[in-house]
Amino acid sequence: MATPMQTMIRRLRVSNLILSAWQATHQAKHPVRLLAAPASRSFCTAPDQPTFDSISRYRERPWEYLESEEYIEKYGSQTVWADYRRNHKGGIPPEKTRKTCIRGDKISGNPCPVCRDPKLQVDYRNVKLLEQFISNHSGVIHDPTHTGVCMKQHKNLTRAIDAARDHGLLPFRVPFVEFKMEDYSNSHGAVTKTPPPSEAGQAGPWYSWYQWNQPPEKEIAKVRQVYHKYLKEEEPVAGQ
Amino acid sequence: MAAFRVTRCLIRDSARLRNVEQKSAVVFRCARRTLSSESANNSPTDGRSPQFSDEEVQNILTKITGLDLQKAFRPVKQELKPPTYRLMTDAQLAEATQKAIQVAKERLKMPPVLSERKLIDDVLAEDKFLEGLETVKYVFTDITYNIPHRERFIVIREPDGTLRKATWEERDRMVQLYFPREGRRLTPPPVFKEENLKVVFLQDRHEDILDLCLVQFEPDSPDYRRVHNLTYEDIDKHGKYDLPCSTRHFGGMVWYLVNGKKIDGLLIDMIQRDLIQDAASVIHLYHMLHPQGSAAKEAGEQQAQGIDLVKIFARTESQKAGYVELALQAYQETSTERSAQSSSP
Repeated sequence: MATPMQTMIRRLRVSNLILSAWQATHQAKHPVRLLAAPASRSFCTAPDQPTFDSISRYRERPWEYLESEEYIEKYGSQTVWADYRRNHKGGIPPEKTRKTCIRGDKISGNPCPVCRDPKLQVDYRNVKLLEQFISNHSGVIHDPTHTGVCMKQHKNLTRAIDAARDHGLLPFRVPFVEFKMEDYSNSHGAVTKTPPPSEAGQAGPWYSWYQWNQPPEKEIAKVRQVYHKYLKEEEPVAGQ
Repeated sequence: MAAFRVTRCLIRDSARLRNVEQKSAVVFRCARRTLSSESANNSPTDGRSPQFSDEEVQNILTKITGLDLQKAFRPVKQELKPPTYRLMTDAQLAEATQKAIQVAKERLKMPPVLSERKLIDDVLAEDKFLEGLETVKYVFTDITYNIPHRERFIVIREPDGTLRKATWEERDRMVQLYFPREGRRLTPPPVFKEENLKVVFLQDRHEDILDLCLVQFEPDSPDYRRVHNLTYEDIDKHGKYDLPCSTRHFGGMVWYLVNGKKIDGLLIDMIQRDLIQDAASVIHLYHMLHPQGSAAKEAGEQQAQGIDLVKIFARTESQKAGYVELALQAYQETSTERSAQSSSP
């Protein structure tokens, strides 16, 4: 078990050296940062691996990774979840995917499409990644059983998609809400300056509704119609 | 419906006025204002410029907006269902089309264009003995169900003892808290900030942002006005006049442009689409609003109609006169060609 691991690590180191040499000769724009990272972090446990700071760089500008050569090489023009297949017992997959792929420092086997690539940052600003998880035809966020992401990443994605829609970065269908006209005169005492009370000889109450106002005929008729079975006879029968 | 609301206001006001002899200028102003702003049959009286809610203005704007059924009922991204098929006779098809036209007309009802509301700045009591007792403000809202939101009393007791009426923003928040409206959020979403609006305009989603604004803000709030003005400016700057065409926002846009005297781009666009009658209506509206201009006087002298109105406007008051005249020339050439083609065989 040790030897295949060591050979793999040696192969990766060799490939890293080759890549860094290639980039040094071709004067890449970011000579340090675009070293080929191993596919999952479980290979990074050896102590003498160089620390990649690309993850923190992509945390600040997450959309850059989706335009890099590394991403295109890995995924091409497909979605990040296109080539992922869940492992489960039996023919029918469980209704929920696993709760999370990464617990502390340990990563589970066959991690989900978002967890297996640490450079993919789920952020409301990288719209290209978020669009991959929304259906093109109905605008609905894909089920985690369809894409294969773990429940924690699905929650993160949902929050990021909602935030992107709130910021106007992701187009979505605005439901048609019928507009109801109100009275916009703004002349009621609740929203205007209170008139000062008249000093000498109060002509009437300060606000006109402080006293009894006869309600309009329509309202009375409505109430009578609702309670018509319980209304007492108004004219008492004379004589009896 | 507006007439009924007027009469309801009048009856309410008259009931209050019956036993009260005080001057209460507020109430009189209210009655006069409801009469003047909401009356249905109102032609611009002497000295008063036409308002958005005037019948003539509304007729012109509805005519210009048009009614494109294909755009009103275009397919949108939604939950997919299997399609339904119905077998109809010609008469049933005509009836169904009529119903669709009615529904589309409901959807094209224009939201009002109002001036910005005046700030509420009223202190009801200053009780200094309450100072220092509390560390927070208390908001008292009247949650009686059957009163309009603009007649609700919402007052705030500050920690220093002042009892004041709530500001418009606080009022909107409290009303949304106790009487939530569908689609409206308690705090406005970050789309309405300047930098995010720019992104939205790049995606050509002006209609969406105007719908969101209509749902979120009151028509007389400063935020509503600001978002609408920015949207109309962007449409005018990039010439994207077909985006709000045949939607309920087109009338508001035309009103804004005519008030700001920026109708050149719109006219050029209309002439290029062969909508000469609509262009003439826009200029007619412009003359109604700015009767002192040279174009209005000349048009009045010559009693011009249709394309002549456009020519007079292009000559006198237009800022992009060259472009307008070019467009007119192109239109006249194509119309002569078409008439020659139709008359020759």
